Amino acid sequence: MGFLDIDNTTKSYGSVEVLHNVDISVEEGEFLVLVGPSGCGKSTLLNMIAGLEEITSGEIRIKDSVMNGVHPSKRNIAMVFQSYALYPNMTVGQNITFGLEMHGTPKADREIAMRDVAKLLQIEPLLDRKPGQLSGGQRQRVAMGRALVRNPDVFLFDEPLSNLDAKLRVDMRTEIKKLHQKLGTTIVYVTHDQIEAMTLSTRIAVMNGGYVQQLGTPQEIYDSPANIFVATFMGSPAMNVLPAKVRVEDGLPHAEIILHDGSATLLPFSQENLAAWEGKEILLGIRPETITDSDGADRKSKNIAQMINRIVVTEPAGSDTFVSMQLSGKDVIARMRSDAEVRPGQDFNFAVNMEKAVAFDPQTEARIQP
Amino acid sequence: MSVASQDTAIRTGRITRTLIYVVLILFALFYMLPLYVMVVNSVKPLSEITGGGMMNLPREFTLDPWFKAWSSAQIGVEPTGLAPYFWNSIKMVVPAVAISTVLGALNGYVLTKWRFKYDTILFGLMLFACFIPFQIVLIPMARMLGLMGLAGTTWGLALVHVVYGIGFTTLYFRNYYAVFPTELIRAAQIDGAGFFQIFWRILLPSSGPIAVVSIIWQFTNIWNDFLFGASFAGADSQPMTVALNNLVQASHGVKEYNVHFAGAILAAMPTLLVYIVAGRYFVRGLMAGSVKG
Amino acid sequence: MAHTANSDFKTRLQNWIPKLVLSPSVAMMLVFVYGFILFSVYLSFTDSRLLPSYGWVGLENYSKLWRLSHWEISLKNMGIFAALYIAICTSIGLGLAIFLDQKIRGEGLLRPIYLYPMALSFIVTGTAWKWFLDPGIGLENVMHTWGWESFEFRWIKDRNFAIYTVVLAAVWQTSGFVMAMFLAGLRGIDNEILKAAQMDGASNWNLYRRIIIPQLRPAFLSAFVILSHLAIKTFDLVIALTGGGPGRATELPATFMYSYTFTRNQMGIGAASATIMLMTIAAIMIPYLYSELREKR
Repeated sequence: MGFLDIDNTTKSYGSVEVLHNVDISVEEGEFLVLVGPSGCGKSTLLNMIAGLEEITSGEIRIKDSVMNGVHPSKRNIAMVFQSYALYPNMTVGQNITFGLEMHGTPKADREIAMRDVAKLLQIEPLLDRKPGQLSGGQRQRVAMGRALVRNPDVFLFDEPLSNLDAKLRVDMRTEIKKLHQKLGTTIVYVTHDQIEAMTLSTRIAVMNGGYVQQLGTPQEIYDSPANIFVATFMGSPAMNVLPAKVRVEDGLPHAEIILHDGSATLLPFSQENLAAWEGKEILLGIRPETITDSDGADRKSKNIAQMINRIVVTEPAGSDTFVSMQLSGKDVIARMRSDAEVRPGQDFNFAVNMEKAVAFDPQTEARIQP
Repeated sequence: MSVASQDTAIRTGRITRTLIYVVLILFALFYMLPLYVMVVNSVKPLSEITGGGMMNLPREFTLDPWFKAWSSAQIGVEPTGLAPYFWNSIKMVVPAVAISTVLGALNGYVLTKWRFKYDTILFGLMLFACFIPFQIVLIPMARMLGLMGLAGTTWGLALVHVVYGIGFTTLYFRNYYAVFPTELIRAAQIDGAGFFQIFWRILLPSSGPIAVVSIIWQFTNIWNDFLFGASFAGADSQPMTVALNNLVQASHGVKEYNVHFAGAILAAMPTLLVYIVAGRYFVRGLMAGSVKG
Repeated sequence: MAHTANSDFKTRLQNWIPKLVLSPSVAMMLVFVYGFILFSVYLSFTDSRLLPSYGWVGLENYSKLWRLSHWEISLKNMGIFAALYIAICTSIGLGLAIFLDQKIRGEGLLRPIYLYPMALSFIVTGTAWKWFLDPGIGLENVMHTWGWESFEFRWIKDRNFAIYTVVLAAVWQTSGFVMAMFLAGLRGIDNEILKAAQMDGASNWNLYRRIIIPQLRPAFLSAFVILSHLAIKTFDLVIALTGGGPGRATELPATFMYSYTFTRNQMGIGAASATIMLMTIAAIMIPYLYSELREKR
């Protein structure tokens, strides 16, 4: 049993079920990210942990105590909101200590706790200001301070970085990660940004349509996506998914794909059990960074396949160059080093790292497990 | 007055502009006309008015009509002037405005931040209650005030104004709180603040503008009411509007137009003052609140 | 050691407080508004005269009401008054708003002048206009002393024209408010749309006719709803301005109801007329409120 247990929990509005039998167990000190497109149910789940939404069925437990029906303030949780939700009429200091005041902490202790948190977050000079006088990044810090000062069992973050501009978002991301490493607190963090999910979490729950699609470490999610949704949602640019037919040659399964000119080519799978799919259609998933020029191919890989295909568009992006082409009638993106010599219209010799390729069942869209 | 002036992309020629100014000024004169008539004629002797000088500035300036209207004019059977009725109105308006505003604020808070099943229907019923012709409630209201022992009293009138003012105050506060970020309420809940603490510490400190709107609206409406005053007030609880009407409609004796005008200004003074002092909030509120459900 | 914690006391209390807080208002509304409406409607089917009485007479009050010439006059007056009042207020309000929106110098001074009549009581408005329009001392007399001997303006004393003086005073009182509504609408229109239309070569006339006025639809609707309900409720103004006269020339349903109920002791008929007023307003307000509240969800 974990530190925070979400046990077979569902949520319905009237007759519409928006969360279906969610089962997640979070250990103490874990950083769990709930990620998914808008409307996937991640914020609803977070609000249910917070006690801001009722649980329709199932149980949520913190430290083995059932939280169903317990008032938010009695769960010993703290939450950082997307809009920061700073009380506009109070100073930064009052914002930070409001929760302690409501819980009856004596004024002297509140003062000490506030100083500690302000020091930790380096917001001491701001304590007497009103939220309206702060920048986005400063508000973000104050919101975190308000959560930290309570010293809660679980921190809840509801898309805390989405109102910041791109640069600040990266800085604050690092800041949050540092804070987690330093304090070792248990965090549940909601975002729609898969990069945030990958960089921050110790574990990710990818959600869609009210279901947890996959729960696992960032590496598991990225390398072994459970289904096409997870595969294409996580990673940018998204994983290429294209139809292919399985052929067995020399006892090994191969993916038969169609090049730009209509001719077929075979790419050998590393995953041997795909031989059982001989002659059948599958969906082949290849991450853009596994399609490179031959010099850029992963030297540790034992399964680099070659293919010649025509480049349609090149997009230099500074550190990388993205190359798009047609494979099996789909637009496919390859991610090359920036010094790769590529130009549109060129027939180019691509190296595909087939060790990293994954195959999906086109009916269920689930991964064909090795 | 509060509408932010914003660049209009429209350009007009000089002749058109002159015409526009002429029309605007003519209408300004039209709106000022009755006020002008009331003011100039309230400070001249009666003979100047009856002699055809209504539009002229006073030849002889006198404040007698004002004193008479305030303290000695014949209202109904007593020569008391309007003064006691003025205080009647104050005694009715202050509690009615205070209570209806407080209830409206609480209702608006509940209806936006503590939503429950059928809350929209309840609000719709409250809103419709603002617009009913009050004739439909006159008869039962008279009976009810009698049953409650409030017939003919200032408290009774105040109660009536509270009941029929709640719809509007609720509307104002609901629309205002609807755009107040719900995340703040949630944050306060997690911080451990209860229903009233959230209202008092979080919502109310930000409610200044809408409270002003609600107070001005209620003050104007209740002060200016005639129907309820005429229907439910007793001889010694009549509000200012009813007394003014009695003064003007009195069928006996000489018609003292100058006193009538002075009385009319006295009756208009409180609302006009409020309008001048806090008018910008009033207009802002009317634009933001009253027209939108 | 998972133990089942049902809602603790504080949480349950917190769930009830909002409803408790709302309940006095809801109770008042249900009794004083909807209860009273039902009671009045019920009275309209009884033989109540000086006091409520509960003898059921069916539709008799209504059939009596529709045979009364007094009622017929007040309905006819209502038709004239409402049509003119709404049309004139809307035209003046829209016109002034458009003119004021032309970057007018002194807008800050003009706007309060247009708006202040809204702050006045109808009794004050009625008194001011009553004496200004009075032929004996008002406009007509003034013109005579200024040397225009043949000038005649005695609408307020004329059965055929008195209702128009009510329209005049009512328009004076509310047209500025309608102006403010339209001005708010005009200021809410995206300027880039106007610039785009000008680049498309639209003249000012076409700009207003094709682009701007169509976008003021919500303001037109609000103005119509507010003006029509004010028109039906008009009572004080008539009392102060004409007292319903001369004769019955300016009686409206509201004054009819009042005099039948309280001075003529025909409570049943009074209740029947009030019911008809309510139905008329409901026919306008309910669809409006329904659409407004639906949009919000």
